[in-house]
Amino acid sequence: MSNGSSIFNASLIYATFRSATPIIYAALCAAVTQQADILNIGTEGIMLTGAFMAVAVSYLTGSWILGVLVAMVSGLVIAMIMAVGHIKYKSEICAIGMGVNLLALAITKFLLNSWLGKSGTFMDPAIAAIPHVHFAFLENIPLLSTIFNDWCITEWLVIFFVILIWFLFYKTRWGLHLRAVGQFPDAAQMAGINVKAMKYQAMAISGLLGGLAGAHLSLGYSQMFTENMTNNRGFMGVAAMFFGGAHPVYTAIGCLVFGFADSIGARLQAYGLPSEIVLLMPYVVTVIVLALSMISKKEAEKKRKSSLQTAH
Amino acid sequence: MNENAIEMKDIVKSFGTVQAVKNGQFTLRQGEIHSLIGENGAGKSTMMKLLYGLYPIDSGEIRVNGERMKSMDPKTAIAKGIGMVHQEFMLVKELTVLENIILGFEPRNGLVIDFDAARKMVQQYIDQYGMDVQLNKKISQISVGEAQRVEIIKILCRGANIIILDEPTAVLTPQEAQHLFEILQNLKKGGKSITFISHKLNEVMEISDRISVMRQGNYIGTVNKEDTSPVQLAKMMIGREVFLNIEKTKAKVGKTVLEVKDLWTSGEKEISKIRGVSLDVHAGEIVGVAGIDGNGQSELIEAITGLRRVEKGAVLLDGRNVTNFPVRKIRAEGLAHIPEDRNTRGLNRGMSIRDNLVADKIDKSPYSSHFRIQLDACKEYAQELAGKFDIRPRNTEAPTSALSGGNAQKVVVAREVSGATSLLVASQPTRGVDIGAIESIRSTLQEVKAQNVGVLLVSADLEEILSLSDRIVVMYEGRITGRMRADEATEENLGLLMMGDTDQEKEW
Amino acid sequence: MKQALKNSRKILLTMLLALGVGAIFILAIGENPISAYAALLRGAFDGKLKIGTTLASFTPLLLTSCAFAVAAQAGAFNVGVEGEAFLGGIVAAYIGINWTFLPKPVLLVTCFLGAILIGMLWALIPAVLKAYYNVSEVCVTILMNSVALYITSYLVNGSMSAGVANSQSLPVTVTLPKILPPSNFNVGIFIAIAIEALMIYMLKKTTWGYKIHTVGTNPQHAEYIGINPKKVFINAMMLSGAIGGITGCIEVLGVHGYFLNNFATGLGTNGMLAALIVKSNVVLTPIMAFFLAVLKSGAMGMQQSTGVPKSIVDTITSVFIIIATMELLFQFKEKKRKVSIADTGKKAEAAEAVSGKGGASHE
Repeated sequence: MSNGSSIFNASLIYATFRSATPIIYAALCAAVTQQADILNIGTEGIMLTGAFMAVAVSYLTGSWILGVLVAMVSGLVIAMIMAVGHIKYKSEICAIGMGVNLLALAITKFLLNSWLGKSGTFMDPAIAAIPHVHFAFLENIPLLSTIFNDWCITEWLVIFFVILIWFLFYKTRWGLHLRAVGQFPDAAQMAGINVKAMKYQAMAISGLLGGLAGAHLSLGYSQMFTENMTNNRGFMGVAAMFFGGAHPVYTAIGCLVFGFADSIGARLQAYGLPSEIVLLMPYVVTVIVLALSMISKKEAEKKRKSSLQTAH
Repeated sequence: MNENAIEMKDIVKSFGTVQAVKNGQFTLRQGEIHSLIGENGAGKSTMMKLLYGLYPIDSGEIRVNGERMKSMDPKTAIAKGIGMVHQEFMLVKELTVLENIILGFEPRNGLVIDFDAARKMVQQYIDQYGMDVQLNKKISQISVGEAQRVEIIKILCRGANIIILDEPTAVLTPQEAQHLFEILQNLKKGGKSITFISHKLNEVMEISDRISVMRQGNYIGTVNKEDTSPVQLAKMMIGREVFLNIEKTKAKVGKTVLEVKDLWTSGEKEISKIRGVSLDVHAGEIVGVAGIDGNGQSELIEAITGLRRVEKGAVLLDGRNVTNFPVRKIRAEGLAHIPEDRNTRGLNRGMSIRDNLVADKIDKSPYSSHFRIQLDACKEYAQELAGKFDIRPRNTEAPTSALSGGNAQKVVVAREVSGATSLLVASQPTRGVDIGAIESIRSTLQEVKAQNVGVLLVSADLEEILSLSDRIVVMYEGRITGRMRADEATEENLGLLMMGDTDQEKEW
Repeated sequence: MKQALKNSRKILLTMLLALGVGAIFILAIGENPISAYAALLRGAFDGKLKIGTTLASFTPLLLTSCAFAVAAQAGAFNVGVEGEAFLGGIVAAYIGINWTFLPKPVLLVTCFLGAILIGMLWALIPAVLKAYYNVSEVCVTILMNSVALYITSYLVNGSMSAGVANSQSLPVTVTLPKILPPSNFNVGIFIAIAIEALMIYMLKKTTWGYKIHTVGTNPQHAEYIGINPKKVFINAMMLSGAIGGITGCIEVLGVHGYFLNNFATGLGTNGMLAALIVKSNVVLTPIMAFFLAVLKSGAMGMQQSTGVPKSIVDTITSVFIIIATMELLFQFKEKKRKVSIADTGKKAEAAEAVSGKGGASHE
């Protein structure tokens, strides 16, 4: 077997998707608020809190469902801190976003120490992970089996969420109101839409999604909690959201690119690529993809506005 | 039904320390067109915003169809059949016309918005009142006149019987305004009651049944159209005789200070892209650029002043090619620029009056030496300008954010006029300022001209163009559709050119 | 002056509130907050070593908070100071280890120059992306922090490794003298203070400061008046990056004497916190930097002498920052205005609406 075929094979598809899923959740979390014109810098913190609470509750109760639910609620709480600060008390969004990120980092560390009595990493067989789905009928078709079998429930769910959020944005009243609030709040207010309420709602949904992102990371993607385990995945999500212009489908595609970089890197490690280089690859790819997408947007806009071009 | 659609009695409203409405009275009868007139800052827009519930009133009473309203907010206003068309359109640019119209009360089919039902409902109003709009276009793709019709349909769809129009003709050509008046007459026939806010007396005399006048937050009186005249209205509005048409000084035309040759530049919209504009300005004359907002005037000015990239063609200042020079260098060549938007461009609201007055000279001696700012020189200079241009307050250490519109504009004018050695570009110089400031700014422009500086004046206000300019060019969709001497120009022929009729072009 | 008083009152109130929230957490785990805070103070100030440690952790925070504030004055949210410190450190270490052919004083200066250069170049990337293509500098700088960390970690585990159990480089051949041995407090503090003073002077008294401030408050106005906002933005970011690089250099040459893997983790973040709490007011950032340094260095002592984990300190500071960002908090006395259309909450705009709306409309 040549090197190429063992790096690029059917299992790479799942590997890519697997690495991308936590980022897709994070990106959706950022996209919902972005449509209401709030840059959710706190995605990272929401996600980290969710990741911790999911593990803690799953460990203590033995129920992954409860873990996921509590994670979502804790994400909601963090998002609401941001929402109240930003919407009611006029906090600068980047400042309070970084604030909640640090709060999440500190408080998960604190709770890990004082509640679970561990520091650094928390791993325990008693943590109930999110189950994987196995289709027996696929076993006979090796290719499909490699690609689709044994996905974690929340990995299937992310596809559903991408579609759901897309539907919500572009097909429902709520989505139309949300976009109007984001693009021209005065006009939305004139139309009788409660602008602040919409912003709170967007933050709330974002919090729930971010919490779910964290739960998936700690109970689905892995089965443990580590300090700062999100490791800037929240920011990758925000980058993907920029890449996709807050459109859920394009945003998810952006995440797949990052996931691809991640899984290719992991495979290259087997060929002697130093682990640090592997680890930094998704970040470099994210920055490059983000930069290129913004540059091409700018160029397209320049072209659209140029007097030397005729419209349409 | 109550005889009066709206009654507003003894309204008082303050913002901070400023009393916007001191004694507001307004009664709108069912089925009438009632104009509310007054100068800038008279409180007429504020009155209507209070009616629509955008701010709470401090005291007074509002009745809608006889029912006393405890408190108003836009939602209640809509529910009570009040609709408002704002000066700045409340339309979301990236949504379609249809989406904008139904925003807030979308018909639903299960979970999704029922666009077919929406289309049907909207079509009904389009047919009834003869208002052509393209439902599938995005707002960013349609014209100002069409956007205004969208606004009117929007409020009709919400069941508005009481319609408030805040300066609707400010953005229209005289001809488009006529079209709007036809629509308003149709609406009146359909039983709607209409409030029309304006300060253009000829329009008011044409469209209204009754006219109410406000001055400095106070109610002055209400008259029937039949019983009044523009002269009487003007007196009520201003409280004294005012001659805005200051005696035009004769141009002593000197050398060419600005030459624009076949200029092409990008535009925010398709119709505002500049394609092949040429014009020149001589020392000692005012050249007026007329046109409806958004036909490329802003882009043209930005290209001349270095704020927008020139894609083709050339800009010559005093014979020197300054095409695509950085702003700093263009300013150093003696060009000064009163921008159309003082709040974003003209002033830095976060800084003091002094900082704003020296902003363009901060690198020069004596205001700084070896990078160190010389505070005393700056202060002295700021005080001098504040006195010369009557900027209030005189304390130049005060933040610009505390200034009224007129005084804020005076800061911009003071700074720019003192920097104009060959050309002054003045874009909407009197927009949104009080009458006293309008008078002083207009005479300042005359003085600049007398000092042998060329002036390029852009204004959407035809009256301003006519009263100040020596020569006039008209812009339409990024091109010049007409050029004439001021004495050949009338509101009518300019209006036609502003709509793209090029037959009017004369030699100049 | 009145404004300054109001600001300091707000900061004080915020500080108390944050300590109060911290106290609740401490109570929740069954400890006594008063004795915990007392232990914290003892941990920071009890004895020469502890004072020295506190001052040693003050030095980098003074610099990183200054770096963040300088960028913030131009409207940039530079989270990348940490990455710049890492890279500044590794370059200083590389030069300090390998360029022994230079005389010591020249070598020392070269270390600093190298750190400054790499910091500036590293900051140039997000600055250009933001200024020309509007790419979020928050996102880019954060992601680039990870990249910087992994690059240095790769080097210090690979070609620059000292070959000992810890991931660290060989010792540098030139160091900054220590002041209060055996603590890590070193003469780097004087460099930091000089830079801080220079930045205050630059921002308050010179035309550069004026331009940075103009661009930070209204870039459109800056462009119109003849200041190139892109250039100023990029310069401010590079200046910020240079200070970040110096931070790393001082840590390597003054504190450790070699490049220690992960040494800068948290330095940038805490500097950012200090700056954010005082809204990037360069005169006040040193005070906040000192406060955070006390919390940091006292935390270990508190953890050892009471049962309170030192992560409580991070919790307190993050609560502090969250409350501090809330502009309208602690404004009970001012009359509440209903914020609505055309009234964005600023008096002037409301007054403007009265005197005939803003520039873009005509009444």
